[in-house]
Amino acid sequence: MKILIVEDDPVLADGLTRSLRHAEYAVDCLNNGAEADHVLAAQSYDLVILDLGLPGLDGFEVLRRLRRRGAAAPVLVLTARDGLPDRVKGLDLGADDYMIKPFDLPELEARVRALIRRGQTGGGSALAHGALVLDTAGRRATLAGEPLDLSARELGVLEVLMMRSGRVVNKEQLAEQLYGWDEEVGPNAIEVYVHRLRRKLEPAGVSIRTIRGLGYLLEKAPSA
Amino acid sequence: MPESRPATPPRSQTTLRKQVLAWLCWPLLLLWSVSSVVDYDIANRFVNLAYDRALLESALDIGRQVKVLKERIYVDLPEVAVQMLQSRESGRLYYRVTGPQNDYITGEPDLPPPPDPFSERVNYYDDQYRGRPVRIVTLQLPLEPGKTERMVMVQVAENRSARNDFARQILLRMILPQALLIVVAGMMIWYAVGRGLAPLVTLRHEIENRSHRDLSALPEEQAPQEVRPLIHAMNALLERLSAALAAQQRFIADAAHQLRTPIAGLKTQTELALRQAPQGEAQTTLRQLQSGTERTTRLVNQLLSLARAEPLIGRVQASELIDLRQLAREATSDWVPRALERNVDLGFDADSHAAHVQGNSFLLREMLNNVLDNAVRYTQPGGQVTVRVAASGSGPTVSVEDNGPGIPDGERARVFERFYRVLGTGAEGCGLGLAIVSEIAQSHGAQVSLYPGIGGIGTVVKIVFPQLGGNFDGQASELASM
Repeated sequence: MKILIVEDDPVLADGLTRSLRHAEYAVDCLNNGAEADHVLAAQSYDLVILDLGLPGLDGFEVLRRLRRRGAAAPVLVLTARDGLPDRVKGLDLGADDYMIKPFDLPELEARVRALIRRGQTGGGSALAHGALVLDTAGRRATLAGEPLDLSARELGVLEVLMMRSGRVVNKEQLAEQLYGWDEEVGPNAIEVYVHRLRRKLEPAGVSIRTIRGLGYLLEKAPSA
Repeated sequence: MPESRPATPPRSQTTLRKQVLAWLCWPLLLLWSVSSVVDYDIANRFVNLAYDRALLESALDIGRQVKVLKERIYVDLPEVAVQMLQSRESGRLYYRVTGPQNDYITGEPDLPPPPDPFSERVNYYDDQYRGRPVRIVTLQLPLEPGKTERMVMVQVAENRSARNDFARQILLRMILPQALLIVVAGMMIWYAVGRGLAPLVTLRHEIENRSHRDLSALPEEQAPQEVRPLIHAMNALLERLSAALAAQQRFIADAAHQLRTPIAGLKTQTELALRQAPQGEAQTTLRQLQSGTERTTRLVNQLLSLARAEPLIGRVQASELIDLRQLAREATSDWVPRALERNVDLGFDADSHAAHVQGNSFLLREMLNNVLDNAVRYTQPGGQVTVRVAASGSGPTVSVEDNGPGIPDGERARVFERFYRVLGTGAEGCGLGLAIVSEIAQSHGAQVSLYPGIGGIGTVVKIVFPQLGGNFDGQASELASM
């Protein structure tokens, strides 16, 4: 797995490089936009971590040229700018993810893993949460390799929860996901599905928390 | 938080109105007094002329009655004529007739003699008679026509009081209208100056009612020509002020941005070192370093928020219709993972009515983030934080209540100050959170209040927005116009 880091702050660049090398990635590091553009034109990477404020060539421009050449490598934009327009512009230009400095290293590493996985599977069909793995294409779930007996609706609920693992999912989002199986999915029905899911997952230590007035949250897997 | 308005400055004793009035009234009064003196003199002269003529007529009447019979001179005054002389409307007449040898013939023997009896044929003079000022005419008449050797002198006197009264009346009728004119002129000046200064009063209200974040130009069109340069100068100052403020904000924002990258480096390196360092002293040091970095991060983010929330000068801030429930639900959801980490039960509660507010969703989100940050940070593990949104009552309201340690009475007002931290809370923080909250709330015309929770436990932060359609204190419309 080859990762290119384009970051002009030497301390941050060094930290990122070393952390990703520890994770067994092959990491190249550049501190200049123009240089990055050259290198990206010549080589292909599995992931580009791109700072926006770069000397030589602006990060936005590097990204624009990369996408114009048709390169599909996932790009994770790092920036000190958190204004909404910047974020939208970055995503419009073809960035796959966006992190605002300063960030938490574990979170960056998690997103790097997710981006690389998505890049490889072309959309990402497998969701993992600790020992729990959901194959979205095959529509089945396994817990520590053992298949889980889940109904289609329970799978639907689990998929939404796993996609937004560690974040709150409200009942409307769950109802939206389930729309199509039933004509109408009321909040009570959702409570039933979540209740059943819980019963099946809790023995394995995967817990779905109810957040008062907001919805549900799949608690972060301990190893994530 | 109520905005502190400077106390009204002590009123200057010399108002413009008083000055104009003084400049008008003192010269007018001086002119008036001079004119009164002149008027009195003129009145006196003409009154004297008229009265003297009448007095002479009387003397001539008496003179015509001087007769000589057998060398004896006598005056043939019928009783009716004497009575007429003594009961005139303009006061009693006294007379005396003396012969060629200054011998008394008739009348009042004690009338004062003329100063120089033989100077003129007709002689007027003032004197005293019976203790009162009198005007006397002396008429010299020949006993026989054409013969000037033997002359009879007729003296007629009358009290001056009648003519004095008359002169005074004339004077009064002349100066009273003048005085009235001065009073009317004064009143008109008073009114006119007031009318003339009205644009300044309007200007004053305009400035007084402004919020400190409104640095837009003052209206110049309605002001009169004389006031325009002043407004113009003030507008130029406002413009420079906004430019300076904008530059300052840009500087803070830039500084915060610039700090983010090195902090990110520091954070990453600390995290890496923590993974590699063995348990013990080094770990402790690195943990301290990490917590310091966290606090620096928070401070930088909050400085940036504050720079954003402060007077929105020269920057385009979109204002839109926002459902407060939606916004608060999303913000609360974002904080759930952090709350779970700290074992704080974070929940949300909203009634079924939409709670619409007009404003900038980015800033409002920032505001809620800061309230939530405080609540989650200062509530003990096992505690509870609840965000509530209500549309009813005085306006759309969002409140965040916790059952944490609460804020002591005395400190409740101060927590909105920048960099103020409640002592003894232990948790890391830089004291900018509530300053940001208050700044953003104010820019949306919302009121922030802080009070203890039910039973005196914990803290409730309540933000009440103005009802839509009502008057927003000018600030939301200001947001909208940008």
